[in-house]
Amino acid sequence: MFEQFVNGIFWNFALIVFFAGISWRIIAVLRRGKPKDLSVPRNSGISGAIMANIRGFYPRKEIAPRIRMQVIAGYMFHLCLFVLLFFAAPHVTFIAEYITGFSWMPIPYWAFVVASEITFAGLVLLWIHRVLNPVTRLISRRGDHIASILVFIVMLTGCMALAQTSTELRVFHRFTVELLMIYFPFSALMHAIMFVPSRAYTGAWFGRRGVKV
Amino acid sequence: MLITRFTGDSDSQRFRLRVTIQHEDLLDGNIKMARVNNKKSDRVRKTLFFCVLSLLIVVTVPLVPYAIDAQAVAEKQIKADNVVALPNPAINLWNEVRQRNAITEGSSQVKSVDSGILINKAGEDWRRFRMEILVPYGAFSMAAVLLSLIAFFLLRGKMLLPEARSGKRILRFTLNQRTAHWFIVGLFWLLAITGLILLYGRIILIPLLGAEGFSITATACKDVHNLMGPLFLFAVLAMFLLFVKDNFFTGADLKWLAKGGGMFGGHVSAGRFNAGEKIWFWLLIIFGLSLCISGLILVFSIFGQGREVMALSHMFHGISALLLISVSFGHIYLGTVGMEGTLESMTTGYVDESWAKAHHDLWYEDMAGASETTESADKNSQAGIVASGIANTSHK
Repeated sequence: MFEQFVNGIFWNFALIVFFAGISWRIIAVLRRGKPKDLSVPRNSGISGAIMANIRGFYPRKEIAPRIRMQVIAGYMFHLCLFVLLFFAAPHVTFIAEYITGFSWMPIPYWAFVVASEITFAGLVLLWIHRVLNPVTRLISRRGDHIASILVFIVMLTGCMALAQTSTELRVFHRFTVELLMIYFPFSALMHAIMFVPSRAYTGAWFGRRGVKV
Repeated sequence: MLITRFTGDSDSQRFRLRVTIQHEDLLDGNIKMARVNNKKSDRVRKTLFFCVLSLLIVVTVPLVPYAIDAQAVAEKQIKADNVVALPNPAINLWNEVRQRNAITEGSSQVKSVDSGILINKAGEDWRRFRMEILVPYGAFSMAAVLLSLIAFFLLRGKMLLPEARSGKRILRFTLNQRTAHWFIVGLFWLLAITGLILLYGRIILIPLLGAEGFSITATACKDVHNLMGPLFLFAVLAMFLLFVKDNFFTGADLKWLAKGGGMFGGHVSAGRFNAGEKIWFWLLIIFGLSLCISGLILVFSIFGQGREVMALSHMFHGISALLLISVSFGHIYLGTVGMEGTLESMTTGYVDESWAKAHHDLWYEDMAGASETTESADKNSQAGIVASGIANTSHK
């Protein structure tokens, strides 16, 4: 019963909410337009947008020593989560079966395990830092904590289903993934999609004004 | 006693009668004495008799089953003697397979570790150790520590600060130290809970969840435990690197231990970490590494380790884990409900001056005068510049 619900109606609902929600968020941003810039452009906005996107991948030297842990943990988490999401064998099979219709080469099992461990370590370190650091604690909202905890639960249920010997555990993991999909468009998790246009917008704005990004 | 009475009027008869009467009186006294003595000796005899009888019963009754058993064995022997001896052809084969005295390896088409051994006696030793020692004594040690802490709390209550809070705070743990601490806390309890479910689940969870429910739970716990386990090694190493500097033993630690850490009153001097904290630190490092190494041997069974190595690793793993879990109860107790002002050192990073004076006076003396400036001196924290204001705000 629960399995049918998770694999059927709830999956379809989560999928619709996920894509509709993301579309709605992107359209909402685009509809805001941009303020009219009356100044003479000092430089190219496009190069500013590209540079801002690249520049965002490494910390500024003035603050680098202070945020070393966040940078390392951030890369650990995001890169390995990406690898897990799109290259873990069970995920490749699932995506091919339910979404794309075609598959690609998954990573070996040992790499899957190592990637999972690094992802976990990164996520937990980042969340602990968010809670312990007075500044990040102050600027964090409830949604940030919910997002972190939800991602952790999804990953934990994924670990529990690692052996793929139990249908119940696999269904439970899928259920938590569907919950995350529903929550995703309405939370700070949207940064996974919006970080590129967001950086580009700021970079272009600065670029036209001749501000070094 | 027979006494003859003479009757008559003659003097001789009177005399005889008098003598007889006197003699009779004497005899009566003797008889009475004799009767009393007889009663006493009877009583002693009876007592002795019952003692001997009781002793015989006590000694012989427990021997009855042995006697019955011996008789049964003798009867069996007689029957066996009457039976024509036909050697069971499987006996020799079984003895060869069983290899009670030594493990010998045969040959097999299957080429893997221990594939030539049909029955490994060490497996039975390991099973008995697990079921008869590790499981009961592990549960006993955890329960004993918990009950002792509850009893101590009921008797002693929360240890309050001897002086009122000064309002001045000293940085005790940097952000990196606190992050490493809470990281290992989370990991430790995730591994502890999943490990305890694997160890005690059969006894506790099967009656609650049923066999199938427990099977699913155990599978999930095993996967989580195996996947997260290797991270514990990095967490232990991080703890070692971040905290080892102040955890070497000094002369002050002996005094601290001699006074029982001031648990029962009185002040004891201590540096940044007292002897109790140092012991906990080294237990974590030593048994934590033992856990990690034995765990890696168990999880990655791809380096040719046989069953005996695995069984030995499991023993080390179980003992180290249960020891650390038991001791961690004490650490948690003192860090939370047991002692006022301790927990905030691991949440905010700061402690009140009064707390430092009361529990770590030598460290306080080293840090003297730093309380005004340390709030902005957390170089490892990106928030160092605003720590003073924010920390005060958040503390309120």
